[in-house]
Amino acid sequence: MPEERYIKFEQYLNNELSKEDLKFFEEQLKSNTDFKEDFEIYIALEFSLGAKFKNEEEEIKLRKTLTDLGSQHIKQDENTKKETKEISLFRYRNLMIAASIALLIGFFIYNNGNPVYSDFAKHNALELVVRGENNEVVSKAESAFNSKNYKEALKQLSILSNSYPNDSEINLYLGICQLELNNYVEAEIVFNEIIEGNSAFETKAKWYKALTFLKQKKYNESKEILKTIPESAEEYQQAKKLLRKL
Amino acid sequence: MDHKTHEDHIYIEALLKNDSRVLSKIYMNFSHKIVSFVKKNSGNADDAQDIIQETLVTIYHQAKEKNFILTCPFDAYFFLLCKRKWLNELKKRGNNRVTIVEEITSITEEQNQQVEETELFEKKYQLFESKFKELGKKCQELLKVTFKIKSMEEVAKFLGVSYGYARKKKSQCMGKLTQLVKSSNEYHHLKA
Repeated sequence: MPEERYIKFEQYLNNELSKEDLKFFEEQLKSNTDFKEDFEIYIALEFSLGAKFKNEEEEIKLRKTLTDLGSQHIKQDENTKKETKEISLFRYRNLMIAASIALLIGFFIYNNGNPVYSDFAKHNALELVVRGENNEVVSKAESAFNSKNYKEALKQLSILSNSYPNDSEINLYLGICQLELNNYVEAEIVFNEIIEGNSAFETKAKWYKALTFLKQKKYNESKEILKTIPESAEEYQQAKKLLRKL
Repeated sequence: MDHKTHEDHIYIEALLKNDSRVLSKIYMNFSHKIVSFVKKNSGNADDAQDIIQETLVTIYHQAKEKNFILTCPFDAYFFLLCKRKWLNELKKRGNNRVTIVEEITSITEEQNQQVEETELFEKKYQLFESKFKELGKKCQELLKVTFKIKSMEEVAKFLGVSYGYARKKKSQCMGKLTQLVKSSNEYHHLKA
């Protein structure tokens, strides 16, 4: 008898009950509390286990991120705080040196005939949604950026980024300023973070990362990134155009 | 998004998207207080790291399955969850005699409600998980496959059985599991 019941639950969930059976089923839900209780547990199990197994791999990935962050922020806090800071600064400097060498090599290897950064660097005007206390900084950042005063814009945007560290739009424009000021390593770091963050600015960040390479005449790297811009994206047409020239 | 959604909901979204940049902010901004609470109450940094991770994974599940929306600041909500989880852990370890060093936190009704919602979700989740493990190996395997592969035709193919058999087995196993949950003490506590 109860086995019959669970088969009915299954049919109900799959919309397979005939009109008559469905009517009978719904009447039982109203009148039979034991039936109803079973049904509620069955459904709750279906949803809970369904979600659990479907998201199993995603959960493993999340756990990995959290373990990494935990070790970074909690365990290292315990003893090696100073050391790691120095190491990362040192590595940062090496990166900068590597980047400038790459830039120099790029300069000598490639000559004319290749697409130029300035042909593609047409930035949308900066118009941030105004948020409470930072109005003054916002308007300073906007007017500096829109008049191509990237040094000043970078300064103002950095202040904003401190207050809204997760705002991808602010960070994107911060990256553009770095790119305009030829701070390629910094620009690339910012764009990478946006790309990894899955925000609405993901493809914009990809486009700008490609431009970062283009400006350094690293054509192959630029190409690889352009290829990852999906057809549905706003930047696709520009990307296609640039890819053709590369 | 609902107008009641708190701006700290970004942390819940970061869990859903596995956004390490925003998640690192959770560790930067909120872990210190939890670590010091655990340490003051017979735990160490490793314990605190586990408690924080398990709490975050629970919130992730709740958001994924129930579309959980955060309507209060993350700080107090998260701290209270971690704190209660640690106290439970101490109880499990038989550490009943420790005196709890309280942190002063003011809790609003709203925060309390969200904390309880998450805890209730977790208890159900754990109950279902543990009852699932009481099922026979065959049932466990079959259910795992049915939930991973949505179409029962493919499940049958995968298991090398007929479609009818796979369906019948699924409802049998789910029925068994329903009975296990229904007859457990925990379930009746949760209902109350």
